[in-house]
Amino acid sequence: MFEKSDEQLIASALKGSKRAWLNLIKRYESQVFNYGIRMTGTREDALDLMQEVFISVFRNLSHYRGEGSFKGWLFKIAHYRCIEFYRRKKPNQALEDSPEIESADPCLESSMVTSQNANQLVNAMQHLPLAQKAVIELKFFGQFTFEEIAEQLGISSNTAKSRMYSALSKLKNLLEVEYA
Amino acid sequence: MPKLNESELLAIWMQGTLTAEQQQQFEKLCTENAEFASQVEVANQTSLLAQDYPAAEVPNWNRNASFDYQAPPKWWQWQGLPAFSSALSIVAILLVFSGFEASVENGKVTFGFQSTNTDVEQIVAQRLAEFKSEQNEALSHYAMSLREQQLDASTQLTKYLLASSRQERKEDFGELIKFINEQRNDDQIFYTRQLNQLQNAIYQGPNDKPWLPINNDTNLQD
Repeated sequence: MFEKSDEQLIASALKGSKRAWLNLIKRYESQVFNYGIRMTGTREDALDLMQEVFISVFRNLSHYRGEGSFKGWLFKIAHYRCIEFYRRKKPNQALEDSPEIESADPCLESSMVTSQNANQLVNAMQHLPLAQKAVIELKFFGQFTFEEIAEQLGISSNTAKSRMYSALSKLKNLLEVEYA
Repeated sequence: MPKLNESELLAIWMQGTLTAEQQQQFEKLCTENAEFASQVEVANQTSLLAQDYPAAEVPNWNRNASFDYQAPPKWWQWQGLPAFSSALSIVAILLVFSGFEASVENGKVTFGFQSTNTDVEQIVAQRLAEFKSEQNEALSHYAMSLREQQLDASTQLTKYLLASSRQERKEDFGELIKFINEQRNDDQIFYTRQLNQLQNAIYQGPNDKPWLPINNDTNLQD
């Protein structure tokens, strides 16, 4: 049996098909949830973020014009929701700033990650500024191109590349600390 | 080809779209620039770690809550219906005040405004005026011909009267002359008889003339 495309599911959902919408959620909820874990550092926040993302996606579903992939559009919304999440959590912290070390406690999530090294990467990501963390997340976990990342984050492609470069520099130090 | 900076070169390498020239530049940088080489190593390591990252299982959550579908309103629940009704009411009021009229005539529906009726009235009035002037002209013609006829008739009557009166007068004069002639004939006969009687009286004696006075006998005899 052939799977329906995203566009077909979206069209059905817009016509009121709950089943199509649930299928669409099933298709992307894991990616969004894990994105949430890596961006927020906790499962609870990731769950809240995922729910906010899908509510927001459904409300804006009629505005999706099919320009670019649905996944890209979905993660663009996820990024905006993530920024709002950070603003609620830390209203006085700029998105470009590095979070305080004690502000995130990724060790709480160590049990959910089976791979120790991957867990260390996620732990290290929690110490990156949101802007750099988003680039790392979208590039290495989302497998987006720099052009897609730039479009999703609302920045230029060159900015995305330089952010990646800076993020890798910081990650190198953080991973060295983690491995040490 | 312009030389790319480290971040751009690294990005192109990560996307796997290095050209031969860029590949050379990349390899040169990796050997000469330790920092760049470590960046490449971290990118490689991160990529491998990301591939190894086991996706967390999504906990059960209320997916239905995100389906905030609001069925489009039926046509009778259309939001614009009150506005549409108001607009129709305004149009109806405007039609009333502008004198809009719809009429059915010979199976044809005609829509128009009072101004059109005014035009029709003007045309009718114009036609009536034309008809009136035509009628007046015809009447004047008729009156003129009638007058001419009357004039002819009067002339003929006058001529007739004049002619007949002349004839009558001629006849009357003839009659008068005839009468006078008859009177004169009668008078002549009378006088003749008188003269004859007188002659007889003169020649026969006085007793034969009792009508004469006696004294005048002599005169008469003389």
